[in-house]
Amino acid sequence: MNIFRKIGCWGSDMGRVFRNEFRLILKDFGVLLFFVALPLLYPVVYTAIYNPEVVRKIPVAVVDHSRTVESRDFVRRAGATPAIDIYAYCADLPEARDLMAKGEIYGIIEIPGDYARNIGTAQQAHVSFFGEMSLLLRYRSFVSALTDLQLDMAGSITGEKIAAGGLESLAGGGAAMPVQSESNFLGDTEQGFASFVIPGIVILILQQSIILGVCMLGGTSRERRRRNGGVDPLQVQNAGVLATVWGKALAVVVFYIPLTIYVLRFVPEMFNLPHYGNPVYYLLFIFPLLLSSAFLGQSLVYFMKERESGFILIVFTSVLFLFLSGLTWPRYAMGPLWTWIGNCVPAVWGVEGFIRINSNAASLSEASTPFIAMWILAGIYMLLGCWVTAKLRLGKN
Amino acid sequence: MASLGFKDGIIREIKRLGSRRMYIFGMVMVPLFVAVFFMSLLHEGLPDEVPTGVVDMDHSAMSRTITRSLNALQVIDISQDIESYDEALVQIRNGSIFGFFVIPENFERDALAGNKPTLEYYSNMTYFVPGTLAFKGFKTVAVATAGGVVKQTLQSLGIPGEQIAGLVQPVVIDEFPLNNPWLSYSAYLCPSFTMCTFVLMIMLMTAFSITMEIKNGTSVQWLATSGNRMSVALLSKLFPQTVIYSAVGLFLVWLLFCVEHVPMNGSMGWMICATILTVIASQAFGTIIACIVPNPRLSLTICALFGILSFSFTGFSFPVQSMYGFLGVFSWLAPIRYWFLIYINEGLNGVDLYYSRYYFAALLVFPLLAMLLMRRLGKACLNPVYVP
Repeated sequence: MNIFRKIGCWGSDMGRVFRNEFRLILKDFGVLLFFVALPLLYPVVYTAIYNPEVVRKIPVAVVDHSRTVESRDFVRRAGATPAIDIYAYCADLPEARDLMAKGEIYGIIEIPGDYARNIGTAQQAHVSFFGEMSLLLRYRSFVSALTDLQLDMAGSITGEKIAAGGLESLAGGGAAMPVQSESNFLGDTEQGFASFVIPGIVILILQQSIILGVCMLGGTSRERRRRNGGVDPLQVQNAGVLATVWGKALAVVVFYIPLTIYVLRFVPEMFNLPHYGNPVYYLLFIFPLLLSSAFLGQSLVYFMKERESGFILIVFTSVLFLFLSGLTWPRYAMGPLWTWIGNCVPAVWGVEGFIRINSNAASLSEASTPFIAMWILAGIYMLLGCWVTAKLRLGKN
Repeated sequence: MASLGFKDGIIREIKRLGSRRMYIFGMVMVPLFVAVFFMSLLHEGLPDEVPTGVVDMDHSAMSRTITRSLNALQVIDISQDIESYDEALVQIRNGSIFGFFVIPENFERDALAGNKPTLEYYSNMTYFVPGTLAFKGFKTVAVATAGGVVKQTLQSLGIPGEQIAGLVQPVVIDEFPLNNPWLSYSAYLCPSFTMCTFVLMIMLMTAFSITMEIKNGTSVQWLATSGNRMSVALLSKLFPQTVIYSAVGLFLVWLLFCVEHVPMNGSMGWMICATILTVIASQAFGTIIACIVPNPRLSLTICALFGILSFSFTGFSFPVQSMYGFLGVFSWLAPIRYWFLIYINEGLNGVDLYYSRYYFAALLVFPLLAMLLMRRLGKACLNPVYVP
């Protein structure tokens, strides 16, 4: 009997905290900016930045020492690849290097004087390509275009030679390669930049906006506490620590339900990013992320002396978390220290699992490791949140 | 009199900076920690040995050669021998491999008989870098295999050896990645991300330190210390911070170029000059925002928003030239953009200073703009109103 009454009491305490916190959120414009504007607008802004997806038509200069039909044919084919745009012909390399230094071109094709002769005598002809390396993405586009160009040249020149030499039997008519190959891209089939980066970023936005908002609520409450002799008049006074922490966390989670659906379900669809996942899987999957982020935020209130502290202490972590998530730099290549620090961040697991479900169509069971990890983090940060809340009540300000 | 106000202001500011741990944390600890983070994380330069798998359904001498050549590549690591295509997809979905290579049944027989079998390879592009590396490794081996078969056939037809190479691969394109032959990620992610975080913190801390005077109602006294002149007050407040940031900035430059050995093919002197100018420009940026919205929460929100977004629209990873035009404009508002371009010119490419002249000039515009807007801040400081 007693135990049921206790649970009932606890539930009603938690309900009161929940209602109170919800009211505080709605009344605080600064917090609403984090909780509503951030998840609503950031995905749109990021997608707008990366939406051109691939780097095309990069200006390139040509230094042609051969000046023959063959070399012009090579340049024409190079200009026809998606990555390369023939921007200028230069007399020599220094002239081309000057254009590169001015930032007008990002690559130089140099065709040697013996190019046509080598092709005519069935020798290997060498062409040099100099890539400007300020961005690896540009170089990557170049390399992939040049590899295709090389194969294309082999196809047509060898084809001609074989036909001329009466060796059709070898080629089986036409194409020169006896073994075909076929490349397939999974998940991000167009190899676009937005398609790869946005599904990860939206998860990070969810976590960081929750933490920033909760920290602002916490910092504001601590300011009020200091002004009012150690008591924050706007908090529920007689609720237990556990009920308070849970009530606050659930208020945030409930508040985030519509936004989460928008961010995970509609953002990928709006911008035509990969969205192969089953909504039931990823919405279930994301629940522990919201919960653990809300608990983590309450733990971090320990460091929030005032309302604006979060800007200094939290904002920069987004960059670190983005890298720890393995989106740009894969986690298998990280040292043990960063792997373990990454393991403590809910969004690191969230990014991994959501990408698998959303972009690779994994099921919830195939994403079970990150799912379980986030629940464990939720438990740890709940305890930490309780400790911090108790500590603050005892008069640390 | 003016110099006296300046001196008093500086003494007052030094006391303020020492009064809260947050200042040292934001101004010194965060930039240093982030620098160490990126350097240790990206130290390898390229995440080689991407975990991948092979689905060998042929089990012939040729298919085993293919598996061996895949394994010999540095970029990928064949960690899995997979039985079937479906099994490989499961491995992709649970994240244990980033790509796989499929050798079809009867591959060797078909290849030698001229039936043109197809090698298929799959790369998981949801993780860009490992996906790309896996693709690159797979493609190399697929092309080499095809070339090998042609070579073998041509040899059997009695074609002289020196002509075979010209037939199999008539045109070879030698690629020269200028100044970063290792294709190291560290060479461009370390400097840009470290400095961009540094700039973010400078903007935030500048706006924070100015608007806190208004929040705490100390702005009237701040102005009074400097003889009620906003310019003196602002200079005396920001100058001690400039000294600290410059010291941190120089330390970061030392870490990047002397410890991590990020490419430095130009003049170290100009790079140091650019770093100090970027520090001042970022302080000016924070000041400009604080002048426009003299409220701690709003000015910090704008600085945070702009600072975080500038990681993206400054074009460290996706080129500004490929973005939509209106977003490219934003990149010119960020001080870090100019530092990045100067680094590309001075550090990576080692070209003449002449090519960076506009970037240096642009960094000087920020403090000028801040001076123009100063009066507005002066008004807000004389009548401090805190809006939460």
